[in-house]
Amino acid sequence: MRDVAVVSFAQSPCQAANRRDDMADILLPVIREAVYAAGIGRDDVDFVVSGSHDFYEGRTFSYIESLDAVGAWPPISESHVESDAAWALAEAWSWLQLGEGDIALVYGIGRGSLPADLDQVVPAQLDPYFLAPLAPHRDAIAGLQAHAAIEAGLTSEQGMAEVVVRCLDAATGNPLAQRSGQVDVARLLDAPYVSSPLREHDVAPIGDAAAVVVLAADDAARRLAERPAWVRGLDHRMDTHYPGVRDLTTSPSTRRAVGRAAELAGFTTSDVDIAELHTEYSHQEAILTNALELNGAVVNPSGGPLAGRPVTATGLIRIGEAARQIRDGNADRALAHATSGQALQQNLVCLLEGDG
Amino acid sequence: MSRRVAVTGVGQSKQAKRREVSIGAMVREAVTEAMADAELTFADIDAVVLSKTPDLFDGVMNPELYLADAMGAVGLPVTRVFTGGSVGGHAAIFGAHLVQAGLAERVLVVAYSKESEGNFTWALSRGLPFSAPLGAGAGGHFAPVIREYIRRSGAPEHIGWQVAVNHRLNAVRNPYAHVHRPDITVEEVRDSRMLWDPIRYLESCPSSDGSCAIVVTGEEHAGHTPRPSAWIHGMAWRTETGHFAGRDEVNPVAGQQCAADAYRQAGIDDPAAQVDVAELYIPYSWYEPIWLENIGLAEVGGGWKLVEDGRTMFDGALPVNPSGGVLSGNPTGATGLLRFAEAALQVRGLAGEHQVDARRAIGHAMGGASQFHALWVVGSEKPEAAW
Amino acid sequence: MTEPITTMPSPFRMDYTYVAGTGRSVFLRGLAERRLMARCCAGCEQVYLPPPEFCSRCLRELEPPFELDGRGVVSTFCVVSFPFPGQRIDPPYVVAHIQPHGAGTRLMHLVREVEPEDVHIGMAVEPVWVSDDELDTSLLSIRHFRPVHYGGADA
Repeated sequence: MRDVAVVSFAQSPCQAANRRDDMADILLPVIREAVYAAGIGRDDVDFVVSGSHDFYEGRTFSYIESLDAVGAWPPISESHVESDAAWALAEAWSWLQLGEGDIALVYGIGRGSLPADLDQVVPAQLDPYFLAPLAPHRDAIAGLQAHAAIEAGLTSEQGMAEVVVRCLDAATGNPLAQRSGQVDVARLLDAPYVSSPLREHDVAPIGDAAAVVVLAADDAARRLAERPAWVRGLDHRMDTHYPGVRDLTTSPSTRRAVGRAAELAGFTTSDVDIAELHTEYSHQEAILTNALELNGAVVNPSGGPLAGRPVTATGLIRIGEAARQIRDGNADRALAHATSGQALQQNLVCLLEGDG
Repeated sequence: MSRRVAVTGVGQSKQAKRREVSIGAMVREAVTEAMADAELTFADIDAVVLSKTPDLFDGVMNPELYLADAMGAVGLPVTRVFTGGSVGGHAAIFGAHLVQAGLAERVLVVAYSKESEGNFTWALSRGLPFSAPLGAGAGGHFAPVIREYIRRSGAPEHIGWQVAVNHRLNAVRNPYAHVHRPDITVEEVRDSRMLWDPIRYLESCPSSDGSCAIVVTGEEHAGHTPRPSAWIHGMAWRTETGHFAGRDEVNPVAGQQCAADAYRQAGIDDPAAQVDVAELYIPYSWYEPIWLENIGLAEVGGGWKLVEDGRTMFDGALPVNPSGGVLSGNPTGATGLLRFAEAALQVRGLAGEHQVDARRAIGHAMGGASQFHALWVVGSEKPEAAW
Repeated sequence: MTEPITTMPSPFRMDYTYVAGTGRSVFLRGLAERRLMARCCAGCEQVYLPPPEFCSRCLRELEPPFELDGRGVVSTFCVVSFPFPGQRIDPPYVVAHIQPHGAGTRLMHLVREVEPEDVHIGMAVEPVWVSDDELDTSLLSIRHFRPVHYGGADA
């Protein structure tokens, strides 16, 4: 395996609704920042790969517009995933293993604010014959999962509120967060349910942002970053689709992914200092912590998605934030997690490490 | 790290308006066939790549989630690729990359579209925000490019009719093809309805439901079945920005560079002489000469002469789309992978009635306004060295 | 219950807010005043119409907007000859790529006030704007392009 590292990361501020910038306008400054921080030019990039989804943009082939911010001229080697951009990073990592190039640019765009009502959109992610016609509320399946998690003794409404308090407090140190502040548990628990037992604060606030990660291999990584965040292990796995046949209180795909990632990395999650988890709901932290067997790691020091969830950019931001902790010297080993689908159906785990 | 990679399994569904099966069942048809061809069970598969054109076309968002079970993908890494119409080619190449990089031993690449289930007209007629709704329609983006090609090359108008006939006659040999017109003639194409002048009805692709799947494996795992493998000799993808001054949509640079890169890997320096058969992404008949020139199988301005001379017909020296191609079946999400898969079938000698004499074949896919290009060269013989 | 269920309706309705972006906004506002606002890249000297906020080749901010008169030539075209949903006018009609003088990019628009068989590549055309009460921040503020009849010869 080639050694591949995150050598820079940039993102735009998570905004509840960015009504000023189009897709390319959101992206361009972020690409510039990431490329500048890596000390490279556009021509140094060997491969470009991105993640976004048409159902958030409301039109077909929407990602084509973002290529105007990449400068695909002269022609470039390029690919795209129609899902969270963490999967784009996985593709870039695979591509760098080929040895055909040393530097890959990964970007994600997520604009959750464009759909007028996500209740119209989210059910389309379900089996079109059996589940989508039921048109469940956007948070309904998460509500089922949260209820099951509480029943199983993994968490409680109090515990979920405590997760939110911790994340929003951590987000006060993250100028790009959409939501942050000091709040108290009792006040949160006074709020009404949006999808029992979930309250508004339990649901990651959806918004708009773009994120960019530059990956580099071997000597290029050592040249471009003072302390590269080496991707030591990366894997992703899929669970069955049907919420009705899954044990929603566990995440077998996360467990499998972290097992394989740890095998590649040569260290386990008990060695991890920080973890950035793609928690779309507060109760998922307990499920993920179990599946990942996290032990003492600081979870979501950036505030995590509960402080801002720019849909298909959210998972890539987790990897960028975990890498930032290593690159800043705050952690030697870090874990990043990304998810796609309802109730954690598909999960990705990335293990990162700084030079000793 | 790099190693030799082969296609050992190919499967596809019948292309048609498939109202009798669900999306999952139609996808499963291709998957089952590919797995049987490769003589593998799902336990042998390390990763799945799904190719699909816009989710808005048939109304399922992130279909890799719903299709996890139908694809046998539970417990596996699944990547949903999407790059416009070239996506099937991108998916095949990404699957091969996973094997080549040593990250997987066997990868299942799956592709489908079932646009008859969506309100296709609705999805397309939404149009692009901030663009004038001119009523150009799907062919309205390609027809002006074709007109420009005809002007530049001086090609006679019957070239487009002849390509339409060639591909439809080829399709008669392919039981999976959507369109079967054994009696088609040049006169019939010429007299068919004008849609987007210069494109006539019979020079256009249909809208089809359909699926395709392939299994790609590392060298160590090829040769386990009595059926031969298709060896990947070269593969590449290229993208260029859609609109800037001086962009040539008739002969896009991204397509030229994509082909050149794949030929370089395959050790091909004279593609017209060294390639035996090509499965090209030809949604409108005039794209046969356009792509022949773009990917170096003909001189610039001379692609139409290959058609004129009958060289690209089934019995010609360089048959193009012996499967019948996109003009005979177009499940958009699978169309690109079908080209790649048909190229593999040809060099494996498993193309059935539409088999031609082929040791080296090209699979090609294109998307967007000719912005996305993917191409691979497959051969019946193991490449000399892993590249 | 032996009859198979072959179809089931599953209607979706999805509404979206589209964001024009700063670059596109300048162009759209111009259209409402019968002005075609272009911008030039100082890096590669290409002129964009419509202009984004930055050059997609050089990735640098474009220079301030300036006005073009919209006259140009047909660079290529097709004749839409059959009816399908979403049309606003009866076929046949000409959809053309128009190369406005002074612009490096092409606009796609209708060419009318001429028989489709008389349209040719290289034909000089000019925009025909809608009446004041129909002007909007849309390319539909240009009703269509038509051949230039006076003074100008074909390019």
